[in-house]
Amino acid sequence: MAALVPACRQKHSDSERIVIWHQMRPDERVILQRQLTRYMEVYSAIRVVELYKETEELRSGFVIASIAGQGPDLVYGPSDPIGIYETTKTIKPLEPYFSTEYLGQFSASALTWYNNHLYQIADKIGNHLALVYNKKYLERPPTNDREWIEISKEIQEKHGYVAGRPNVYGLAWNYTEPFFFIPFLTGFGGWVFESDGVTPSLNSAAMVKALRFVRDLRDVHKIIPNESDYEIADALFKDQKAAMMINGDWSWAGYVQKGIDVGIAPLPMISETGLWCAPMTSPKGYSLSANVSPEKTERIIRLLRFLLSEENQLETVRAIMTAPTLRTLYNRTEITSNPIIMNSLLQIERGRPMPVVPEMRAVWDAMRPAYQAVMGGARTPEQAARDMQELAVKKIRDMNE
Amino acid sequence: MSSRKWFVAALIAPAILVMAFVVFYPFIYNVFLAFGNMNLSRIRDWELVGFRQFVKIFTEPSQPGFYVIFLKTVIWTAANVFFHVVIGVFLALILNQHLQGRSAFRTLLILPWAIPQYIVALTWRGMFNYEYGSINLIITKYLGLPAVEWLKSPTEAFLAIIMTNVWLGFPFMMVIALGALQSIPHELYEAADIDGAKWHQKLRAITLPLIRPVMIPAITLGVIWTFNNLNIVWLVSNGGEPSDNTHILVSFVYKAAFNFYSFSNAAALSLIIFFILLAFSLFFMKKSRATEAAY
Repeated sequence: MAALVPACRQKHSDSERIVIWHQMRPDERVILQRQLTRYMEVYSAIRVVELYKETEELRSGFVIASIAGQGPDLVYGPSDPIGIYETTKTIKPLEPYFSTEYLGQFSASALTWYNNHLYQIADKIGNHLALVYNKKYLERPPTNDREWIEISKEIQEKHGYVAGRPNVYGLAWNYTEPFFFIPFLTGFGGWVFESDGVTPSLNSAAMVKALRFVRDLRDVHKIIPNESDYEIADALFKDQKAAMMINGDWSWAGYVQKGIDVGIAPLPMISETGLWCAPMTSPKGYSLSANVSPEKTERIIRLLRFLLSEENQLETVRAIMTAPTLRTLYNRTEITSNPIIMNSLLQIERGRPMPVVPEMRAVWDAMRPAYQAVMGGARTPEQAARDMQELAVKKIRDMNE
Repeated sequence: MSSRKWFVAALIAPAILVMAFVVFYPFIYNVFLAFGNMNLSRIRDWELVGFRQFVKIFTEPSQPGFYVIFLKTVIWTAANVFFHVVIGVFLALILNQHLQGRSAFRTLLILPWAIPQYIVALTWRGMFNYEYGSINLIITKYLGLPAVEWLKSPTEAFLAIIMTNVWLGFPFMMVIALGALQSIPHELYEAADIDGAKWHQKLRAITLPLIRPVMIPAITLGVIWTFNNLNIVWLVSNGGEPSDNTHILVSFVYKAAFNFYSFSNAAALSLIIFFILLAFSLFFMKKSRATEAAY
């Protein structure tokens, strides 16, 4: 038995084995695997292992594993948990390993700084919502809320109803999740935090108006399904039973591959305020685990440079049409000639960066039940706005006690 | 120590060692955590703070509050176990007859148990959709009743979760009951037939008392599993939707620990769950005299 042990021993020692935890979708994962294979061909002594984790599992699993001295060397995902990672001291600053010139090549929003340290470098910007529409039903996307409702009603009327249900819904999206509600809040002039960036500002007139607006889309204008989570909305759009959809950049390539004549447009303006519905935007990138030893860091940084390189970012852009982070790529024809990417960039410009403070977590958890209660008819928008604020304040207090 | 005692100790040592790592250590650590203040901001420098978490759980008003969740957990457990046992025993009684194609029926009825819970939960979630789900299609098309907002209203959503778990859980009780039925000596029924006993008399006087020693531990296990069934609640309700109204204690513990990072609070809740289940098991086993011999 003992004689077998050396034969079973892993070929690569710990310092030659780099582990990445990520929450990439299958199409992103294919590209990553391809890139890692190329990397390992060049650096044959290094073995890079990538492991998929669902978003929540990635976040909590990484924190718990890191505190136990385990976990990956690199963690990849949107920037919003950076505050949590920093608070729990599970990632370490990246700025000592990159020159100012190198970092200067990236769009400013690709670099996530928190408490004066750089904690994430992104290879994609966005992770944002936009208006996705099926050109079979509408040639020109709506530019304001009135047009949005009007066009939706016209489409529904044109395609008829069965048992009171439209054959084609004007609009669909996951209206159970507060992340998808943010564009309406910003459209009515609201935001999740006060100007200090940590005090919740959920009990606002904008919140009440936005909640009422979304509820009215369903109950008054009847242009969205009675129940719609992510899977339902996605299935409706893929089956061409919804003319428009609010969805993120992660989904667009899938619709194109499905053969739908898809258009992407920035979300419309709210006429009452003259403000665009602004989704939250966030870079998606790599952070370095606090457990990585100094000897291993150099190898990981070399891999990171490779993954963030122009060639690899361009490969991703071509395959899944996400916005890259290297500024030199913005003038490439692959981007300028692609209306989906150009509209995506316009939407990013109109979006607002997602706060990376840990308090954001409390805000999401406070918004969700009250928002769902409004959509379920159990609470008024006014009551919901008050409840969200109260709960967010309590959760932040609990978090910091 | 005698060589015999050394031998016994050597035999049980591996099991004790494994138990120490996978049961005793996590349990003791959980007890310490429950009396601490570990949360997101104090994850590395937490300290013992006494009964603070317990006081908070029992006294601090929150949405949803502990008592409401506890009541829902009791309803969830009682409803599920009741239907698991009733449906399970009923089907076992049928399968215990000399039916044609009995093994095929048995296989079909065990199917819900054989499908991974994740798949079952998500399939049922889809079936409960207001507009496109098959449940509402049946209700409206064949029963002529109005569609039900299964996943949007708290009561209906809770009912939907219970229905899913009833479907998933009855095969276990059926298999156990069937095993117990097959071990009942046939002579007892023959004697009852000679005495002219009716089927319900045989059921009450022979079948139920003789399957009891098998069913009581199964029910106890069923209560513990159902009380702690996170998967179905979490997946069908999508994490407690709508508005955190479909939580049972264990799903709330999961949310407190892994969504809110309130580790000490979650540990305190876990300890409360442990004592509730311990008290129930001891009380139920004693009252039902499950350990007594059947024959």
